[in-house]
Amino acid sequence: MPGHRTKGFCASAVALALCALAAGCGGSGESVGGGKVVLRYTWWGNPDRAERTEQAVALFEKQHPNISVQTSFSGYDAYKQKLAVQASGGDAPDVMQLDYRQIDQYASGGVLLDLAKQKAVLRTSEIDPGLLATGRVDGGQYAIPQGRGTETVVYDVKAWRGSGVPLPRAGWTWSRWADSVRELKKRTGKPGATDPGQSEDAFEVWLRGRGKALYTKSGGLGFTAADLTKWWTFTDELRREGVVSPAEQTTQLDGSVENTPLGRGKAVSDTNWDAPSSGYLAIVPTGIALAPMPSGPDGTPGQYFKPSMFLGVSAHTGHAEEAARLVDFLLNDDDAARILGATRGIPVNETIRKETAPLLKDFDRTVADYQASLEGRLKDPPQAPPSGDNALQSTFQRDYDQVSYERMSPREAAENYVTEAKVELRS
Amino acid sequence: MTTTAIPTATKGAGAATPKRRPRREREGAAWVFLSPWVLGASVLTLLPMAVSLYLSFTDYNLFDPPHWVGLRNYTQMFTEDPRYWRSVVTTVTYVVIAVPLQLALALVVALALKSMKRGKAFYRSAFYAPSLLGASMSIALVWRAVFNDGGTVDNLFGTGGWVNKPGWALLAVALLTVWQFGAPMVIFLAGLQQIPAELYEAAAVDGAGRWRQFLSVTVPMLSPVLFFNLVLQTIQAFQVFTPAFAVSAGKGGPADSTLVYTMYLYDRGFVASHMGYASAMAWVLLLVIGVVTAVLFRTSRSWVFYASEGDR
Repeated sequence: MPGHRTKGFCASAVALALCALAAGCGGSGESVGGGKVVLRYTWWGNPDRAERTEQAVALFEKQHPNISVQTSFSGYDAYKQKLAVQASGGDAPDVMQLDYRQIDQYASGGVLLDLAKQKAVLRTSEIDPGLLATGRVDGGQYAIPQGRGTETVVYDVKAWRGSGVPLPRAGWTWSRWADSVRELKKRTGKPGATDPGQSEDAFEVWLRGRGKALYTKSGGLGFTAADLTKWWTFTDELRREGVVSPAEQTTQLDGSVENTPLGRGKAVSDTNWDAPSSGYLAIVPTGIALAPMPSGPDGTPGQYFKPSMFLGVSAHTGHAEEAARLVDFLLNDDDAARILGATRGIPVNETIRKETAPLLKDFDRTVADYQASLEGRLKDPPQAPPSGDNALQSTFQRDYDQVSYERMSPREAAENYVTEAKVELRS
Repeated sequence: MTTTAIPTATKGAGAATPKRRPRREREGAAWVFLSPWVLGASVLTLLPMAVSLYLSFTDYNLFDPPHWVGLRNYTQMFTEDPRYWRSVVTTVTYVVIAVPLQLALALVVALALKSMKRGKAFYRSAFYAPSLLGASMSIALVWRAVFNDGGTVDNLFGTGGWVNKPGWALLAVALLTVWQFGAPMVIFLAGLQQIPAELYEAAAVDGAGRWRQFLSVTVPMLSPVLFFNLVLQTIQAFQVFTPAFAVSAGKGGPADSTLVYTMYLYDRGFVASHMGYASAMAWVLLLVIGVVTAVLFRTSRSWVFYASEGDR
């Protein structure tokens, strides 16, 4: 051990090393690059959304020469994991796109800034109060909905039309849907649809069509193993018949359109959210169209209008005001709205929605028309899912893998899921 | 022989220096030079380890403060979590496939390179290259593309894509590790070159064929190096993560067939936000690796031959 004569020596060396470390790390959100404020802004999505977002951000930077925005994006699964790691380390991006499932956990975990305190720069008066409330947790406005979306059956127009199978119509039921995928397989040689068994979202639509829900009001599980067994038996039989995509393809689904059977030219249709379906345009050369999701046996619709995604600001940002300004710009600026179109769903700002509706073109038009066709027919959205749902989404897919690879019966897998879900929701 | 001369020389030189600095002062200088390392080790290794040990006894979801649950994470792991045991079985299977295959390949290539007359340097670097590249995510992604359905291997052999078949995906992951045999190969090569040529000549005079020479000369002489590689690769194999993560796109699929231990740990910690549980898993892994290494050392007494033992 060193004697006391060298203690001072050591202390100064330690101090030096600490200084070196501190200098190396730097603070996040520090001003760099000619005294500019640097904001990090991240989202998930496809290249189409990225291109339009970059354009909007460039305009924002032009209007605010003192702010520079670093952007990045990835597919949904990868984004979800990365953000969880960043958020837990206190290093969440200044401005981030959030999913319905993340808000409860992130807001109560102190990751998000209460945006109600940024009223001076962030206007929310033109957003429907009901929609705005979906971003509230414990009295704080932790996230702001950015668009409205709903689920859809997206299909290869040319293949479906050419097959002579009747096109999907509003009010069709799940059994009509099953008949259609069987016919499509018979006449086109390709599976009629992606196996929807792996998708918690599709299961929710099916469940709501039967008057049930994923979660109870108190955040418990809203269905039983028997319900899930029924759903998985239904999809598993179609898979065994070969009229929906095989297990090898279903397991590759990761939220990006590129890895869907429809995107890879191996199925005629897919279930997805409406706005991200724009991604298929680039990879399905024959063109795509949107149809309503199948409804319950008595015609009860299971799909609903959901805030498609939210914008939130990190509680640890060094530039709360600038970050709020960027959020305000993305939501409320006329020019930004024109650039962004419906890439994140139909705009939430009422004035902008009315002004831009007639200007929408191409696929944005398709999404707007699709939503208009459902207006007034759908039931109210469920409340935001409890925090455990964030993990359950992947559990659902994994448990269905056991069914589609024939390692478990639908009943065994469903019982597994319900057990896992109860543990997850309790903690 | 020559090694005995050197320490005597240094000892002599040290004793001959009349003016030595006081012991304390020398120690002080040592601590100053060591400080970056000591600081790094304590701040970046020891402290996180202590925190993780504490967290393993708590329920911690990353966002709310952790609260003490005693041994619950450990009991849950061993008694209530079938996926935990699935990940254990997957990892052990992986270790049993990947380590022997990798070492055998490394040894075969090292033997081939040793007897090579020309171009040795080229082949040595060519075989070593995958080990350098292999640490990167990009190679693992290329691997996924190669073994995917519609990928190269599928097109050539009509396999239908190994990474999407539960029975084959783990093998695809193991092959990625086996392919990175460069590091053990270089060590084997160094070991082979240490074996005195006289031993082979003597064996040849006694009428031993190549195979006999390999078994009676090469294997015993190489056994310390073999043991070193075995321990190192086994420890590494238990911690396999990157190839499984990349090949299954971070999900351990299909149907949990590539859900190795560290991947399930990652899933519990960062996907499901159960950091306490993940920490408990990490400590169990540390203990298991410790035990496995100890067992390997115990068995080594019966098969590892150190040349120096003969001198005693």
